[in-house]
Amino acid sequence: MVSDDVLRTHLQELRRGTVVVASLVALRRPDYGYALLQRLTGHGFPVDANTLYPLLRRLEEQGLLTSEWNTEESRPRKFYRTSDSGKQVLERLLDDLAAVQTSLRTLIEGAPE
Amino acid sequence: MTSLTDRYLAATLRSVPTGRREEIATELRASIGDMIDGRTAEGLDAATAERAVLTELGNPAQLAARYSDRRLQLIGPAYYLAWQRLLIVLLSTIPAIVGVLIGVLQATVADNPAGAIGEGIVAAFNVAVQIAFWVTLVFALLERLGTPLNLPEWSVDQLPELPTERGVTLTDVCASIVFLGLFIAFLPWQHFQSVVGPDGERLPILDPALWTFWLPLLIVVLLASIALEIGKYRARRWTWPLVVGNAVLSLAFAVPAIWLLLDDRLLNPEFVTRFAWLRDGGLDTVARISIVVIVAITLLDIADSVVKARRSAR
Repeated sequence: MVSDDVLRTHLQELRRGTVVVASLVALRRPDYGYALLQRLTGHGFPVDANTLYPLLRRLEEQGLLTSEWNTEESRPRKFYRTSDSGKQVLERLLDDLAAVQTSLRTLIEGAPE
Repeated sequence: MTSLTDRYLAATLRSVPTGRREEIATELRASIGDMIDGRTAEGLDAATAERAVLTELGNPAQLAARYSDRRLQLIGPAYYLAWQRLLIVLLSTIPAIVGVLIGVLQATVADNPAGAIGEGIVAAFNVAVQIAFWVTLVFALLERLGTPLNLPEWSVDQLPELPTERGVTLTDVCASIVFLGLFIAFLPWQHFQSVVGPDGERLPILDPALWTFWLPLLIVVLLASIALEIGKYRARRWTWPLVVGNAVLSLAFAVPAIWLLLDDRLLNPEFVTRFAWLRDGGLDTVARISIVVIVAITLLDIADSVVKARRSAR
């Protein structure tokens, strides 16, 4: 029986890269940090706040996201949006994710238990 | 905004680069506010919600490190192996050399034979601490600056040889036998052939009275040592019986030699009177240096054989 710790580590490893993909997908519609966090969690991408907020800044520095301050509401909020180069990167990432799925499926079908 | 959030923000922003501090502060404050609102909407009171949110965000130093993409490690995988290798090489040589040197100096020049070993150990320890500190500091700085080391890429040619069945090389054994043979030859040579003084007078260096017992004993010990070297070569490695035999022979040489030195019975009295500086206390210095050297060589030799026997036993 595999211990819960081992399982949790592997699941974390598996999920790590998908947060970036999910953020790039979700932010094709502009949103601010907390709202994005809620949306991702609601769609089955649980992510820690202390991971997501720094990640958004990093993606912005890499040019994959653009940002805009919205000061109309009571609280000034920074809205992120997936940039054009972000969309290109996203396309590549989604292709790769699909390729991984396909490879896995053929592997499973090729070697039935 | 309440003070707990203010303190959290201040703690986080302290280690974030100044240029981005303002913006991160505004955004993080808004995010914390949103998170608190989310909790209060679920029915928590404001103070509890704030505590929960800040607890969820975690250690501010860690959050700041994530914002600045900083590494939370002293020496990362890029440098660790180089650091470890350098440290092992330096620590396995320099402290021992310095310790022995200081010990010998204390025992001889500084005339402090009683404290020599202690001084040597203290010196070796200090040197080891200094080496460990400075090497680690340099590598930690390299890690922070991201300086490339430009070390040659690893290649299969660097693979170490497997510990061969022959832990004892022919070269080592030959060198030992030649040295022992020369030592044996030296004993009769110094008796008959050593030339002392300007007039070409021949005087034995060692006391001729020793030929009745001690010098033959030393020759027997040296011959036995040659036999041990040959046995070691045939056994192909250090075995525990060889280690014991080597220790016995080393002590059989060192103990009489030291005892004779302490008793001033080793050197020929006539030879000593011929040299003013030997007469006037020089003899003591010579004896002391010789004893320290003999003790050091004997201990190193025994330790070396034990280490090699353990290694080959594995």
